[in-house]
Amino acid sequence: MMSVAGSISPLVAGLWLLNIVLDTGGQLAFKAAAGDEAAGDGLARWKHMASRPWLWLGVASYVIEFLVWIAFLSLVPLSEGVLLGSINIVAIMVAGRFLFGEKLTRLRVAGILLVTLGVVIVGVGG
Amino acid sequence: MKRFYLFGFLLLMGFDTLAQISFKYAGTQALPVAASIEWVLRVFGQPWVYGAVIGYIGAFFTWMALLKHAPIGPAFAASHLEVVSVMLLSVWLFDEHLTLPRVIGAVAIIAGIVCLGMAESREHVPEPAEA
Repeated sequence: MMSVAGSISPLVAGLWLLNIVLDTGGQLAFKAAAGDEAAGDGLARWKHMASRPWLWLGVASYVIEFLVWIAFLSLVPLSEGVLLGSINIVAIMVAGRFLFGEKLTRLRVAGILLVTLGVVIVGVGG
Repeated sequence: MKRFYLFGFLLLMGFDTLAQISFKYAGTQALPVAASIEWVLRVFGQPWVYGAVIGYIGAFFTWMALLKHAPIGPAFAASHLEVVSVMLLSVWLFDEHLTLPRVIGAVAIIAGIVCLGMAESREHVPEPAEA
């Protein structure tokens, strides 16, 4: 969709999408690890989290995301890259709504729409 | 206390900005991009990637320290407003241009972030100060 702009190649668009998936997936994995009520407290909590995949899934997502973001930024101007990356905020909020039933108030919806609009303007206009 | 928050927010922005600038330098020096071990080695073979690591770690600890006391709304907004500092610095450091779509897009994104910060503030009513 973004490639109609001409300024964004399929590789750049792919890295951008991969960054969204990894960032959102990582945050949700950390949320699942930290929000497990069976985990207990203190050291026992950390042991519980370390014995389950969520924490490690989060760490792995972040390590790969680190590299994906470097590759992405090396192909687009930095001022454009950081603006396009703002979409992660929206993706995490929408995912939180569906997976954890977090509330989307009117103010939140307005924020989500404004950030999305801004990212579209930058993506299409360059 | 207000001065403490302000300093904290600026420090957070500073670390985030350092990370993004470092990412850009690291990526540029490791070109061309390839899904290969060689590319990963090029990334970690020059100093800028460690600036990004320092920026991330610094931002993480500043964020945790801030969240202990600072109101969540402004903290959320401040943690994402590095787009402004990064954009301005990229003009100076990388000879980039603030094109009209980028400026309009940035204004919409910042307005959106402020809305989201205000939404957070409303949901988390601040606890009464300890005596």
